Amino acid sequence: MADPRLDRRSVLRTAALLGLGIPAAASLLQACGRPELTASDLRIASPDDPVRWTIQDDNQPIADGLSPESGPLILYNYADYVAPGVVKAFEKQYGVEVKISTFNDTDEAVQKIRTGSVPYDIYFPSYDQISRLVAAELVQPLNHTYLSNIENVWPTFQNPWYDQGWQFTVPYTVYSTGIGWRDDQVGDVATLDNPYDVLWDEQYAGSTAIIDDWHTAMAMVGLRAGITDVNTDSARDLRTISDGLSAISDATQPKVTVSMYSDLPGGQLGVSQMWSGDIVNAQYYLPKGQSVDVLRYWFPEDGKGLVDNDLMVVLKDGRCPVLAHLFIQHMLDEKNALRNFGFIGYQPPQRVLDTDRLVADGYLPENLATAAVKQEWFDSSYRLLELDVANDQAWHQVWQQFKAGG
Amino acid sequence: MSTEDRGNRFLGPVLALPGIVWLLVFFLAPLYVVLAVVFGGLDPIFRTAVPIWNPAYWDTTQMRYVLEHIVGPTGFFGPALLRTAVYVVTASLLCLVIAFPIAYYVARLAGRWRGLLLALLIAPFWISYMMRMLAWVNLLANDGLVNRILPGQVDWLSGRSEVVVLGLVYGYVPYMIIPLYAGLDRLPQSLVEAARDLGASRTSAFFRVTMPMCRPIVVASVLLTCLPMLGDYYTSDLLSGSPQTSMVGNLINETVLTPGQTGQAGAFVLLVLLVSLLPMIYYVRSVSRDEAGL
Repeated sequence: MADPRLDRRSVLRTAALLGLGIPAAASLLQACGRPELTASDLRIASPDDPVRWTIQDDNQPIADGLSPESGPLILYNYADYVAPGVVKAFEKQYGVEVKISTFNDTDEAVQKIRTGSVPYDIYFPSYDQISRLVAAELVQPLNHTYLSNIENVWPTFQNPWYDQGWQFTVPYTVYSTGIGWRDDQVGDVATLDNPYDVLWDEQYAGSTAIIDDWHTAMAMVGLRAGITDVNTDSARDLRTISDGLSAISDATQPKVTVSMYSDLPGGQLGVSQMWSGDIVNAQYYLPKGQSVDVLRYWFPEDGKGLVDNDLMVVLKDGRCPVLAHLFIQHMLDEKNALRNFGFIGYQPPQRVLDTDRLVADGYLPENLATAAVKQEWFDSSYRLLELDVANDQAWHQVWQQFKAGG
Repeated sequence: MSTEDRGNRFLGPVLALPGIVWLLVFFLAPLYVVLAVVFGGLDPIFRTAVPIWNPAYWDTTQMRYVLEHIVGPTGFFGPALLRTAVYVVTASLLCLVIAFPIAYYVARLAGRWRGLLLALLIAPFWISYMMRMLAWVNLLANDGLVNRILPGQVDWLSGRSEVVVLGLVYGYVPYMIIPLYAGLDRLPQSLVEAARDLGASRTSAFFRVTMPMCRPIVVASVLLTCLPMLGDYYTSDLLSGSPQTSMVGNLINETVLTPGQTGQAGAFVLLVLLVSLLPMIYYVRSVSRDEAGL
């Protein structure tokens, strides 16, 4: 049987026939220009199996000492995930324009990046996308001579297991995933034998939420049931997680959302699975006159929970790679990183931040001291990894079943 | 053959040409793309959809997956589809109950106020649907106006079916009023007057003359609101956010960008299309019958 996949000629002919137009055809051709890959090309990095990616001959870092381009520099990021003041300072310093495009989730983002329809320069993914991004040659290796500020970040990110030698990535933020609650609506979650149980507590039906991210939410369901392999490929574990999702649906009908940073302080929610950065942000969404003391956050004291980090990468199709390097250098600067923290609520892994002093230094209110992310947790916590194709499909099917409300 | 005959022979196709091109470009071509995605393949690394244009190589896996999970012990899509049907039918009926008297009044009884009332009816279109729903989010919030006015504290936005249905009614009722008004405005008054002359009361004339003439207008108006409701996902997302109120639009929205599931989104689109065709066929037959009767 002939290969049914696309070639350039058939794509052009079909696009013309169907009236898809030049832009669509160009996007498809761009996709065709990528290397042909199979599932076996995907190498999954993990703390137990650190990866040093091969730098391809046709995807080399930029040369040393180049002058910056005239811009505009295009960032591809979540909404409100970079401080406008920090961006403006960069624009002023280099006399260029910075444009920000936003996405809702990284699956959507990668699809759009692959079309090549917009020449994004810098993308802000989580570390659990890096193997696909490198395998498909969507990211460009970094030239370290432009990035001396890497010395400012925690040592663990100067040689991370997902990118040994930080050839493609620099860290952007670190965060934990725990439980946020309002203490005027919900009792002290931290004192429960199993604090995750609060999300299954029927008395909070209608005021509960979990994060609308399949892996983060399902991993939490697994942790509650004692499954510490948050990337499990065991059918039995996935059944347990599926049962847990059914149970939470029956017990509390949780909202599945990413807007808990405003819903919790607004009183729509009493308790929610939350990212630490979101509970920090929640204080700014409290109604006028409401004290921040009402907000609480729990994460296991021993760090045996989910901790993650987001990255900055330079995309191969960007038109301003030098500016992109300079922007990353700008964001790794201590002052800019702290200023950015003040706006987005997500902590940068900067050495200068003493995580035991975030309250004393005014970055966190005392009642949210538990939202501080500690460097040592990255050695002991559970990390959400990229999954191989078959396992990824199995996890997504369980999540799909839950989201269908069936 | 005269020049005039030759002109008439080409006039029909020429006049039909824009409509045919429109259908080809904006209906058949996108439909074929959907089919190529539903029956297409997957990128082995990113598991994104790879459309296959040649039907000889089409793969039915995604379509079968959807169909196999609608009913039976593994039928987890079934409740969302059933829920969609219940929500859409209920919301459409409520829309009709609200829209018909308004449209009837404006079209036939409003007199010199007709222009002003018509402008007010169109006013909701000036604000985006999303903004109107967000306004309801504020009104129905725990500390919102509704809870401040009504006795007791109700968690309106905590996954309640009735809130989603009322959101649909509020959002789509203008879409029903306008076509109903347009149709009712064009009903021949002479037939009603004839009925009155022949001794029918106002009520009797309404039910025995006006209502039968309204049937195609009502069907068209209900269709115009049903079809976008079937694909609606943001009403449930904004006013509930709970999987317990997921509709088929939410299934499409959830699967379309999920790695490995884009083809399933296309399969749901085709299911919605097939379901939509049934009332469309009824409408076409209904109109044809009425025209034949005249």
